[in-house]
Amino acid sequence: MARLRPHSMSAVLATLATSLLLAAGAAWAQQPPTEEPGWAKGRPKNDAATRLAPVPSFPIPTAADQLPTARFKLPPGFKVETWASGVLDARSLRQGAKGTVFVSTLFVGNKVYAIAEKGDRKPKTIVDKTEFATGIEFHKGALYLATHKQIQRYDGIEDKLDNPGQPAVIYDKLPGGQDHSWRYLRIRDEKLYYAVGAPCNLCEPDDAHARIFRMNLDGSGIETIARGVRNTVGFDFDPKTGNLWFTDNGRDWLSEDLPNDELNVVTKADQHFGYPYCHQGNILDSEFGWGKSCADYAEPAALLGPHAAALGMTFYQGKMFPAKYRGAMFIARHGPWNRTTRYADIAVAWPDGKGGAKVEPFMTGFVDNNTYLGRPVDFLVLKDGSMLVSDDHAGAIYRISYGGK
Amino acid sequence: MTRHMAMAATVAMLWALALPAFAQATKGAQPKAAPAAASSAKVYAERYAALCAACHGADGRSEMQGVPSLAGQHSFYAITQLFLFREGRRANEAMTAVARTMKDEDLRGFSDFIATLPALAPAAAAAPPDAARMARGQALAQENRCVICHGADLSGGQQVPRIAHQREEYLALTLQEFRTGKRPGYTQAMGEAVGRMAPEDLDTLAYYVARLPTAPPRPGGK
Repeated sequence: MARLRPHSMSAVLATLATSLLLAAGAAWAQQPPTEEPGWAKGRPKNDAATRLAPVPSFPIPTAADQLPTARFKLPPGFKVETWASGVLDARSLRQGAKGTVFVSTLFVGNKVYAIAEKGDRKPKTIVDKTEFATGIEFHKGALYLATHKQIQRYDGIEDKLDNPGQPAVIYDKLPGGQDHSWRYLRIRDEKLYYAVGAPCNLCEPDDAHARIFRMNLDGSGIETIARGVRNTVGFDFDPKTGNLWFTDNGRDWLSEDLPNDELNVVTKADQHFGYPYCHQGNILDSEFGWGKSCADYAEPAALLGPHAAALGMTFYQGKMFPAKYRGAMFIARHGPWNRTTRYADIAVAWPDGKGGAKVEPFMTGFVDNNTYLGRPVDFLVLKDGSMLVSDDHAGAIYRISYGGK
Repeated sequence: MTRHMAMAATVAMLWALALPAFAQATKGAQPKAAPAAASSAKVYAERYAALCAACHGADGRSEMQGVPSLAGQHSFYAITQLFLFREGRRANEAMTAVARTMKDEDLRGFSDFIATLPALAPAAAAAPPDAARMARGQALAQENRCVICHGADLSGGQQVPRIAHQREEYLALTLQEFRTGKRPGYTQAMGEAVGRMAPEDLDTLAYYVARLPTAPPRPGGK
C-alpha cells in the first residue's frame, strides 16, 4: 500500500470512517439478523467464544431425540417436524421424478445419499469416498453431481440406487482447490448453471474464478453469467421474470459487522457484482478498491447480515403455504464462524419489482446461548407444497408445513 | 516404513491384550448414557490405559517421536481426528487400525476421556529458549492470525486444538504437511492458514509454540 503523508492520511481515515458508519447504519436499517446481533450486546465473557474458526459439522449426527426441532419458531399456522435424522453432513437437496430425495455433503460426509419419501427415511449412500460431493441436480432421470473438480452424470439413477455404477463425466476441468470450491447446481432450459468461487478470502480472481457459469448438458458451450461473485452456494430463477437470483458470501476479516452477505439478481449479460473491489454495493475494499467506484458494479438487491453465510435458496412455487409466500424466496442463513456472536435462521424474501427485495426472518431457533443447535443449508419443495430443509450441523432434514398437513 | 510398522504391531498387540479387559468392562456399561456416565468414563479410562497410553502417555504426555501429546486436548477436536482416522482420510496406519474398530460411541467415549487429561506444563528445557527465535515466532503467530483461532495462549477450544507445548517435532511435521496438503484437516482452515507460508517460518512457529511462555496451565476444555 502506498504510504501517505500524515495530514492526508487522517483525512482519508476520517472519510473512510464516516462512510463505514453510514454504510453500517444503512445496512442495519435494512436487514437486522433474526438472533440478537453482536452490536447490541457485549462480548461473551468466555474468551473461548472469541476464538473464531470455521465451525464444521460434528462427525456424528445429532440423535433424533436431541434435535432442536421442537424449539424452532415459525409464523402462525406453520409447523416443523423432523423428516429424517442421522444424515451426516446433509447439504443440498434435490428430488427425482419417482420421489427419491437426493442429499449431498461437503467436508465431512464425502457422500451422496438417497432417501425414499416413504418408510423409515434412513439415508442410503449411493456415492461414497468422493470429496466435495456437494452440487447436485436431477434432470430427465439423471443425477448430476459436481465436485470441486468434475461434473458427473448418473443416468437412470432411481432404478439403480443399489448399484449406480460409474457416472459419465461431463466436464473435468473445474479448478478444484479448497477455498470456495464447492458447487451448487440448477438446470434450466437445458443449461446447467454452476459457480466457481474465489480461491481465497480476498484476491484478484482470474477468469475461471469468482463467477457464475452455465454450460450445455454435454459440457460444451461454457458461458459466464455473472462476474465478481465471491462465493455463491445458492441460486434460483424467479418464476415471474426468469432472472437468476443468488446469495453471495462476503469477505472476512474486515470487521465483525461488515460487509453483509448479499442477495443479488442477474438482470442482463456481463454484470459484475463487485468482488474484490466493492462489497455490499457501497464499501470500496481497503486493498483492491483504490481507483475504483462502487457505482461501476451491480448493487445487491438486499443485504443479508454480516458473515451470515447465506447458502441455499429456492423460490416457493407450491400451493400449501399462504398466497403471500408464492413467488417468495426462502434463504438459508447458515450462520457465521468468524463473528463473536452467532446467528442462523431461514429467511424469506420478496422481489420488489424494482431490482430489490424485502427480507424477513421466517424460521428461527437454530442458535442457543451462542451455540449452534443446527445450521440450515438448502431447501426442497415437495409435491404437496411442504418444504424440506437440510441441516448439516445436526445431520438432519426438517419438513415445514402449513395448515395442519 | 519401519517405524510405522513397529507402531502398528505394538498397537495391534495392545489391542489384543485390551480386548479381554474391554469385554469384561462392557458387561457393565449400558448404551444409554446418563446414569451410566460415570461407569462409561471409567470404561474409557481403562481402555485408554490399555490401548493409547503406551504411545500417548498415561497422562497424555507423549515421549515418542511422531506421536502427539493429548493432555489438555479438547473433545470436539479429538473426535474430529478419530473420525478422520476411522474414515482413512488421515493417513496413519497405526491410528487407522485403532480407529477402525471404534463405533460412534467409542469416538465420543475416547474423546471425552482425552478431554479430562489436564494440560501439562512444558517439560523443563535443557537451555533457555533463543530469545530472537521466540520473538520471531510470536510475530509470525500474530501476522498469520494463529491466535484468532487458537487464542492468545494457543490453548484452542471446541474444534480448535490446543497446540501450546505440543512436541516441537510433531508441530513442525504437522505444519509442513498442512502446507503441502498432505495432511487433511477436518476443515479448510489450516490449509488456508499455512498454505502460503515459507517452510522455515513454519519451523520457527513450531519452535515457538512448543516453548510458549505461559501462566500455569488450564485444565483440558470441552
